Amino acid sequence: MEASSATGPREPSMAVHLSQEKPGVWQNLRALLDVPSVVLTIAIATALYYFIDWSQIRVLDFGIVLKYWRPLTIAAGTTLLITLGAFAVGLLLGVGLAILLELRIGPLRYVINAYIEIWRNTPLIVQLFWIHFGLPVVTGISTTALESGSLALTLQSSAYLADIARAGIQAVPRGQWDAASALALPARTKWFEVILPQALKIMIPPLGNLAVSFLNGSALLGVLSVGELMTVSAKISDYTSRPVEIMTVTALLYLAMNLLTTYLTGRLERFTGRRP
Amino acid sequence: MISFDVSEVIRSLPELWIGLEFTLILVFTSLGLGTLIGLLACLGRLLGNGLLPWFCAAYTTIFRGIPEVVLMFWIYYCGPLLGGVRPSSLIAALVAMSLYVGALLSEVFRGGILAVPKGQVEAARSLGVPEFWVWTSVILPQAFRVVIPALIGVAALTVKVSGIASTIGVTDLVYQANIIAGQSYRYFELFTAVGIFYFFILFPMSMLAKVYERKLAMRSR
Repeated sequence: MEASSATGPREPSMAVHLSQEKPGVWQNLRALLDVPSVVLTIAIATALYYFIDWSQIRVLDFGIVLKYWRPLTIAAGTTLLITLGAFAVGLLLGVGLAILLELRIGPLRYVINAYIEIWRNTPLIVQLFWIHFGLPVVTGISTTALESGSLALTLQSSAYLADIARAGIQAVPRGQWDAASALALPARTKWFEVILPQALKIMIPPLGNLAVSFLNGSALLGVLSVGELMTVSAKISDYTSRPVEIMTVTALLYLAMNLLTTYLTGRLERFTGRRP
Repeated sequence: MISFDVSEVIRSLPELWIGLEFTLILVFTSLGLGTLIGLLACLGRLLGNGLLPWFCAAYTTIFRGIPEVVLMFWIYYCGPLLGGVRPSSLIAALVAMSLYVGALLSEVFRGGILAVPKGQVEAARSLGVPEFWVWTSVILPQAFRVVIPALIGVAALTVKVSGIASTIGVTDLVYQANIIAGQSYRYFELFTAVGIFYFFILFPMSMLAKVYERKLAMRSR
């Protein structure tokens, strides 16, 4: 009885649903073939036909990339390692600086702020040249390309991360600070068990963005020939004189690494429960 | 230790001035073209249907995900495939930077438009406001207010990225400093000077962005 009454009204609605199936397909087709899409497709086809020099495209040989897959893979690994190392050390330094800022120790605040602003407001390429060629003249300690490259990347990331960490620490709700002082928690417990875990959680999305921008920035170390992906691919494309193939693959490798970083950040965010 | 020699910097000011001109050309052209590309990509993604939004999203993801150096080299080398002429390094850098800035700006614009509360648009439409005025007097003014800090951020990033054009041989500020320093081995002085110069452009911009951010935070509270 109850079952029939339940299926009774459902019968016609099923029929309606089935009859709507066809227009649905049509709507999809129409959506694919609307005016801007057609114009876009025609424009791309025209560009492909008239502007691209097919005689040169036919000569392209992506097989060359397979021949050099080993150095390219190693170089991509080096890029990841350099970025990760600079990022990890930078995170430690940055959080440390942010804590020092929050403790408000007299004039130290101005020194740290100046440090952050100087590294944030100059281009990485100028910093690289300054550290690699400029500093040894003054200090007398000459650094290898790898050392100066990592140093520049680390220092810059520490400044950016200090800024993010400061915002993260300030975003921890006031009640948490008050509760920590009301419970008379020692400073260490307050920072490491109450404030920092919450601040780090807040920091994850900007950290992910920064990781991507530093992965991109690490390609700039190729200017000093550090031995990461950009250096190696530039060398291979000089040696084989097939820059188009090598650069395309290099760009795709960087794109893949960046997309992976973005994906992992999203997973991390979900894992820590900031996003459903 | 060699003493800091300011006279070397002063002597090379004419050369640095040439570099500065190229840097300014790079920054302003790519910002202008990038705004245009960014607007088109953003509107295509929000208003288009069918293939268009997908295409715009792919453009944004690809050009944001490739390092600027690689992008410049890639366009420099791939130029001959398109039209058969090798682009000059300035053209290659301009194209690369415009595409990069366009991708960044399309995301900024999209974020701003999506940040306008849905109720505002619905209220305007249900009051019978024509679609043109819904956009020009309801959505865009509110969206613009939200994106000001991000816009300043992108402009600052463009200034920073312009230095990378020196790697493919555009005679911008960094390139000129490198050449002069290579002759006299005054790297420390020249790059300190160039760094200070960039700092004086970028620091006010980041301060301005912070002021606007604070204003926005105050208003939304």
